[in-house]
Order: sequence, then C-alpha cells, then structure tokens
Amino acid sequence: MKQFRSMSYPYVVWITVLIVVPMLLIVGYAFTVNGTDLLDFQFTLDNFQKFFQDTVFLEVLIRSLRVALITTVLCLLLGYPAAYIIANALGKNKFVLIMLVTLPTWINMLVRTYAWVGILQKDGLLNAVLGFFGIAPLELMYTDTAVIIGMVYNFIPFMILQIYTALTKMDHALIEAAADLGANRVMCFLKVTFPLSLPGVISGITLVFLPAVSSFFIPKLLGGGSYMLIGNVIESQFLTVGNWSFGSAISLIMAVIIMISMYITRRVDKNGGENA
Amino acid sequence: MKKRIALVLAAAMTACALSACGGGSTQDAVEKYGSDTLKVYNCGEYIGTDVISDFEDEFGVKVVYETFDSNEMMYTKLQAGDSYDILVPSDYMIQRMMREDMLQKLDLSLIPNYDLLMDEVVGLPYDENNEYSIPYFWGTVGIVYNKNNVAQADLEQGWEVLRNPKYKERIYMYDSERDSFMVALKALGYSMNTESEDEINQAYQWLCEQRDTMNPIYVTDEVIDNMANGMMDMAVVYSGDAAYILEENEDMGYYMPEEGTNIWSDAMVIPKNAANPKLAHEFINYILTYDASYANTEEVCYVTTQSEVYTDVTADDGMFADNEAYPIRTDNAKDEVFEDNETIRALLSELWLKVKAGA
Repeated sequence: MKQFRSMSYPYVVWITVLIVVPMLLIVGYAFTVNGTDLLDFQFTLDNFQKFFQDTVFLEVLIRSLRVALITTVLCLLLGYPAAYIIANALGKNKFVLIMLVTLPTWINMLVRTYAWVGILQKDGLLNAVLGFFGIAPLELMYTDTAVIIGMVYNFIPFMILQIYTALTKMDHALIEAAADLGANRVMCFLKVTFPLSLPGVISGITLVFLPAVSSFFIPKLLGGGSYMLIGNVIESQFLTVGNWSFGSAISLIMAVIIMISMYITRRVDKNGGENA
Repeated sequence: MKKRIALVLAAAMTACALSACGGGSTQDAVEKYGSDTLKVYNCGEYIGTDVISDFEDEFGVKVVYETFDSNEMMYTKLQAGDSYDILVPSDYMIQRMMREDMLQKLDLSLIPNYDLLMDEVVGLPYDENNEYSIPYFWGTVGIVYNKNNVAQADLEQGWEVLRNPKYKERIYMYDSERDSFMVALKALGYSMNTESEDEINQAYQWLCEQRDTMNPIYVTDEVIDNMANGMMDMAVVYSGDAAYILEENEDMGYYMPEEGTNIWSDAMVIPKNAANPKLAHEFINYILTYDASYANTEEVCYVTTQSEVYTDVTADDGMFADNEAYPIRTDNAKDEVFEDNETIRALLSELWLKVKAGA
C-alpha cells in the first residue's frame, strides 16, 4: 500500500485549502475584536458572551434545533417506508423509483423552494385545490409548517438513498433464515432488517439534521424575514450587519453542538451494532 | 455553399469571441480608453433591456454586467478584493465608501450630460459637489395600500396606521433595519438620523409592539409581486417598486405620511480599484442620455434622475402620468436623506435582528 501514499497528496492539499484553512479563519475571527484584521489579532471573548447573554439568540438556537429535529423525524418516518418499498421493488420499477427520488435534486434547491412558495401561498395551488372541494383556504406561508414542509421536501432524498443503500446491501438469506426459524414478517423486520439497516438510518439522520439545522434560505423564503433560524442570524452577521467576528463565533458554537451530536449518534450506532 | 459560409462565419465568430475582440471598433476602444471591457456591478433588475447592448454597440466595447441583492453584499464583495469599474450603491453606502476612501474622484468634464441631471438630485448631502457620484435612480419610501380594503380615514394616522389592529396580519414590513427604523422614528416624530439612544430605543419598542400586535411579515423583494397580486392590505415599499405595483394592479394606491419619509437615491460611482475609469466615465455619461434614461425608467419604474425624461414621463401624456407613486414629493420639510453613522448603524442592525428573532 505504501506506493499509493503519494497519491493522497492532492487530497491532503484539497482538504487543507478548502476545509482546514476556512475553519481556522472562523476560529480566528471568532476570538478577535470585530473590524480588526486577523494579522493584528486582539483576543476577546466578547462575541461568545454576547451570544449567551442575550436570550434572543438562545431562543433562535433552540428553535433551530427543534425545527431540525422535527424535520429529521419526519424524514425518517416518511423516508424509511419509501426506501423499503424501493429496495423491495422489482427490476425496472426499482430504477424508476430511484429516478423519481433523485430527479428533483437535478434542479437547483432554491428554485424548488420557490416552487413551494407558489404552492403554499394564499392564492396558490394548494388552496385552489382545497377551494375546489369547498375547504377554507389555509394560511400556510410564513409559518412553522411551511418551513418544515420545505425542509422535509428538500432533505428527504438524503434519508431515502442512505436507507435504500443499506437495505439493498443486506444479505437476503438472513431474512429467509429468520423466516425459516419461525419469525413472522414483523419479527423479521424488527429483528433482522431494521438492525441491519441502522447504519443507513444513522447516516441518513446525520445528512438531514446537519443541513436542516443550518439552513437559511428555506426559512427565509417560506418563513418570511421574521422567521429566524441560526443560519439566518449567521448570514445576516456576514452580509448585512458586517460583524464577521460575531458571525464566526455563532458558527463555531454551532460546529461544537454539531460535533457533540455527531459523537452521540456514533455512540448510539456502535451500541446498536453490538446489540444486533 | 450556404452551409459552408455559415460554418466559416461561425468559426470566425468563435475565434473572435475567444480572442475577446468585438468587431471593427475594438481597436479604437482600446486606443481611446486603454481597454475595451467595462465591469458594471448594479442592483438586480435595475436597468433597461437594451441599454447595455446599445452601449456596447455604440462604443465597440464589452460590458461585464453583474448584479447584487443588497448594498452590504456589494460592499462585502468589494472588500474581498473584486474589482469593478462602475458600482451603483445607495446614498448611505456611498457615504461610507467615501469615508473609507474606496471611491475615485470623478472628472465631470468627461460627463457633459451631467447638466441634464434634475436640480433636486445635484449636490445631495452625502456628496455635495458630486465629486464622487452621479445619481442613477431616486425615490421615497411609502405605504402601498389596497384602496378597497383600507379606509382613507385610517391613512390619516400616518405611519401609525401600520399598527392599526384593523389590519392585523394584513401588512408587510420591509426587512431592512434602515427602512423599518425610519418608519418607527418618523411615527414617533423623531428624525430618522437621530443619534439619541433613547429615541432609538423607543423606536425599537415601537417595532416590537408592532410585531406582537400586528404580526407583520418582513419581506424584501417578494413584496413587489405579492402586492401586485393583492396578497396584503398594506406594505412599506420603495416608491419605485410602488410605481411598478400600481402599474400592475389598479386597486393599489400609494401614500406618503405627512410625518416625513426617506428620500433616497442610488448613484453611479467609480471605485478606487477600477481597471478602466475612462470608459466608466463614458458609461455614466451614456446613462444620462435621454434614450438610456428613458429605457431604464420605463423598464424598472424607478424614478429617473434625468430632467428631460422626468418631465416627459410625468407629463399628461407620459407613461407615469396617472401613477401617484412616481412623482417625488419635494415640499415636505420632514422628509430626510439618510446619513450613515457607523455606531448607529451597528446599533440598528443589532436591534433589528432582535425584533425579527423575537417573533
């Protein structure tokens, strides 16, 4: 293997330039006084103090985590059966179904989210359909519901594809063996299929939760300017307020929270794996 | 044979495009201006359809045209080291860039059409001698309202009508700290350029109360289409967008409270790091020609700064003759131009974030 080592250099350079350096810059900005150059670094903890002292920011953080959690749970509840159906579909159907899941992701996310504005708004498609059946129009735009619909819609392919991959890689003989030994279909699923698909579920959860917790344009479009999630606060610090240090500090706090939650999911994953 | 000619032509055109030459006059352009490329950074949807291509044809040059969503975004990009020849920022941003020494002085002798500017936009407070900026569009901020749903008598309340519980959940506010605080400060009878923390705090309370009682929706450009579709009863908008909304939906009216409003302007400037300042002057001069200014205002509905065009479009047979949002109010002493103050700006944006985050 040693002779392949040199082939990893481009990758190391890539990681350094695109991941490590920006991360270091964020850390640097987070601990410096705003408006000063990184070169004449002035150490301060003010940015962190500002975040934790003001309940407004903590509320936004909690709201972001809540919305991301709901999104993840919904994606899992909707995505698992979908992945299961696709994995068990026959030949051509399987291909078509996978296409249907991935097809929307060929179109820019922003455009697809704008489409939801058209569907959910007061004189939009959904209310037109409801009106046809004599149901009073719903006020969906600029609510929690709209934001969560937008997030579930945008992120569910990540969940479905992860679980689908885990399910197809599974050895079918195991299910047959379980059935042979007298397990009914529910038991087969609970004792064999589900535990074996757990790695897919875990990575699906990670892939949905991470973008959901830091998303800023979905809440902006579907929730209106007053629907602030932590991503919007960070965005505004960089683009409108111009306080890069505070923006970096919030990003860093988010990064730490995400790392902790990743660590916890890993642990759950490991324990789950041992039990199976 | 025809096919062959087409092929040769296509090849020649490709070669031309690759070598970045744009026809016979390119050499002249390079000789005259030092380069044949002009980089323009303007606000989105802010120019007439053919203005750029006409300029390119007339001067044998190539224009790289990019757009931004907000002044702050433009500023951030400039700070990151991007170079442009022409920018079109707003008044307060120009003031800031002047202070930070980011702009070049203009050579007015290269802009003979300067004389065509409306008197009202010459020597605005942020650049009293037009040393750095030539106004591009200007306007006011007011309330677009649905004439069928909002009673005239209620409008007598001035800005306070935006807190009238009758219109709960029926209003849009503009998602920008400057404009929202302008509304609140004017409603309270203060100057929008106040430096008093007490007055600013009262305005903050005004906005928080409005948020809690009225449940307004904070939007930016969505307001244009949404009001044109009559989605809400009232919205705080720039007069240029209001003019467009009124053109699209005849149920809508425009109202400027007597308590005063913001007279804003966006102007063309040349940043310090411009690669082609000579051609940039030519572009500024070109925008002030009758045809270019007319095309701009016709397409965008924002108010022109060119005196002849303004007279023509507001004349009885002009395209904005019946549009009450188009003409600019110049006789209210309470109307103000926004002044940039670094500490106040930081305070306002922080408070505005809290207004929105508390919802």
